[in-house]
Amino acid sequence: MTKQAANWSPYDNNGGSCVAIAGIDYCVIAADTRMSTGYSILTREYSKICKLADQSLMASSGFQADVKALQKFLAAKHLIYQHQHNKQMSCPAMAQLLSNTLYYKRFFPYYSFNVLGGLDTEGKGCVYTYDAVGSYERVGYGCQGSGSTLIMPFLDNQLKSPSPLLLPAQDAVTPLSEVEAVDLVKTCFASATERDIYTGDKLEIVILNADGIRREYMELRKD
Amino acid sequence: MESNQAKNSLLSSHDNIQRTQYPYVTGTSVVALKYKDGILMASDMGGSYGSTLRYKSVERLKPIGKHSLLGASGELSDFQEILRYLDELILYDNMWDDGNSLGPKEVHNYLTRVMYNRRNKFDPLWNTLVLGGVKKGQKYLGMVSMIGVNFEDDHVATGFGNHLARPILRDEWREDLTFEEGVKLLEKCMRVLLYRDRSAVNKLQIAKITEEGVTISQPYSLKTFWGFSAFQNPTVGAEGSW
Amino acid sequence: MKLDLSGLESTAPHFGTSDGLSHGFPTAPSFDLPITGDFDGFQKEAIQMVKPAKGTTTLAFIFKEGVMVAADSRASMGGYISSQSVKKIIEINPHMLGTMAGGAADCQFWHRNLGIKCRLHELANKRRISVTGASKLLANILYSYRGMGLSVGTMIAGWDETGPGLYYVDSEGGRLKGTRFSVGSGSPYAYGVLDSGYRFDMSVEEAAELARRAIYHATFRDGASGGVASVYHVGPNGWTKMSGDDVGELHYKYYPVTPSTVEQEMGEVSGA
Repeated sequence: MTKQAANWSPYDNNGGSCVAIAGIDYCVIAADTRMSTGYSILTREYSKICKLADQSLMASSGFQADVKALQKFLAAKHLIYQHQHNKQMSCPAMAQLLSNTLYYKRFFPYYSFNVLGGLDTEGKGCVYTYDAVGSYERVGYGCQGSGSTLIMPFLDNQLKSPSPLLLPAQDAVTPLSEVEAVDLVKTCFASATERDIYTGDKLEIVILNADGIRREYMELRKD
Repeated sequence: MESNQAKNSLLSSHDNIQRTQYPYVTGTSVVALKYKDGILMASDMGGSYGSTLRYKSVERLKPIGKHSLLGASGELSDFQEILRYLDELILYDNMWDDGNSLGPKEVHNYLTRVMYNRRNKFDPLWNTLVLGGVKKGQKYLGMVSMIGVNFEDDHVATGFGNHLARPILRDEWREDLTFEEGVKLLEKCMRVLLYRDRSAVNKLQIAKITEEGVTISQPYSLKTFWGFSAFQNPTVGAEGSW
Repeated sequence: MKLDLSGLESTAPHFGTSDGLSHGFPTAPSFDLPITGDFDGFQKEAIQMVKPAKGTTTLAFIFKEGVMVAADSRASMGGYISSQSVKKIIEINPHMLGTMAGGAADCQFWHRNLGIKCRLHELANKRRISVTGASKLLANILYSYRGMGLSVGTMIAGWDETGPGLYYVDSEGGRLKGTRFSVGSGSPYAYGVLDSGYRFDMSVEEAAELARRAIYHATFRDGASGGVASVYHVGPNGWTKMSGDDVGELHYKYYPVTPSTVEQEMGEVSGA
């Protein structure tokens, strides 16, 4: 009897890129909809963006099964939170919940790379980026996933806001209008799709502002 | 805390259990697509024992409850275990006797959790599953892999099918395929697989699920033509060192 | 061996634990462990996949006026800089700071956990925890996870009833009291500047400048360090942030561009 595969891996990388940009009173969060394994595309229509609460959205790439488990866990936690507090969880609270959730899997990590975007308690846009085991940071704009190394330098070039660590502090808010931010996101993905095999097919953009949530789509290269 | 204590017995005796396993008897690709009235699914009936064709009449398409159809590739004994889980699931659902029954979406979700939980235990069910169904006019077609990766699409294919059949499906699939067109398309895919997948056999079943229920065809064979010039002398023009 | 989870106690929610609503969720958080015979091998592989290996420069020293703490802000994954704005000086409470070197998540999580423990100590004892106590709390937790792949190299700096305090704690179980530490890949460079410029009776301004200079020179020579040099001072009334400077701009402070006379202008060559 020949062994078909003597070993298997509990992880897979299903690829995909996620970007989030925080503005003064809005937050744009975007991800492509391709899902791959190795060199094959599993589907061209998989949404990586998940609404966790009224004011928080999460975009995740990495291992889809872990991402799904993570989303389900957070959804359940948030349901309990609503029962206990009779309100929606704020984005900063969700950010820390996500951090802790990831860290509790420190020894068997969720292979997921997340950006959390939303509006904070003052209605300002906020973006949090994470590593797979839960270290997180609030930023003006963030990028995760297979195309992050292509997109991040571009974002730095276009948006580089003064570091929040600087003293005297300088205004770190992204200077773009909502429309400009959406356009910038489209440009990033159009470029990333050219050079990253795991990014493509379609771009899903979710815009969160005081009026609520709005979705936009843009076709990307399918090769 | 008590439950944690029990769970966290890291490095204790039972950790030396051998779990790393490999499949014994396996089935190859399953191909499925949505068509006008529901879902069509096709798979051959071979059961491979390594590279030996051990079984030739394995049914890999099974109806689940009233609204779902399951197709499986991979380890056949694990598939049978999954069928036992599903029988129990459907039975318990029936026992509510509330007139509700699990739809394909629910069954697919259940399978997703079963597969993912087993991978979390480092004891996976060695299958890729395809679940299709129709409930309340809503067509559903999804897939789950061995480690829990899952998604929905208009057409899906497991294993080799992902490489060989899906390009054809992406090219020719339409939302409004008739039953005849759908079957023709599936047969085209199955034929390509038969030509190029060494573990595929020329005995297959096609199953249909619509609002009315499941019908699974009797096993039949495809007409083949092996006279392609590329098959005649495959090594022509390929100069090797031996 | 049983995994010691005491490090996580009391972080559990104080209500809603037994109402059946949270069924299926562990009341006290617990770590999920992979069920595998080869834990070490799995850890090694998993960490390779997910963790940003961090190059870092952090330093802290005690002097006449208290403790100076400084750090860079770069995080890298292999050759890729994953962030230039990491907060490597963690504000545990108004009188205590922790620094971050090693795994970002490990440091962040356990410092957050330490912050909770310190606050609980305050509530239970009506007085702030000593730096000695806090550092020991952290060291004991890290020791209980020894061999499981945590990666932490931290300095706990603060002011308590005995005056300024400074401890070095790491994930191997080490805990050292001292007056001058630097941790991370840039530490040799930082030590060079620090040791040559250190005097106990510096003023706060002098000490801040020494710390800043040490971080700057480390970022200059260590590719894995960079970003912003943050400097904190801990005095009797708690910590204050002294400065945060982009090291790219600091360069021109330490090496001003001096207009030099042009020795020879390049001109058009006439003829062939």
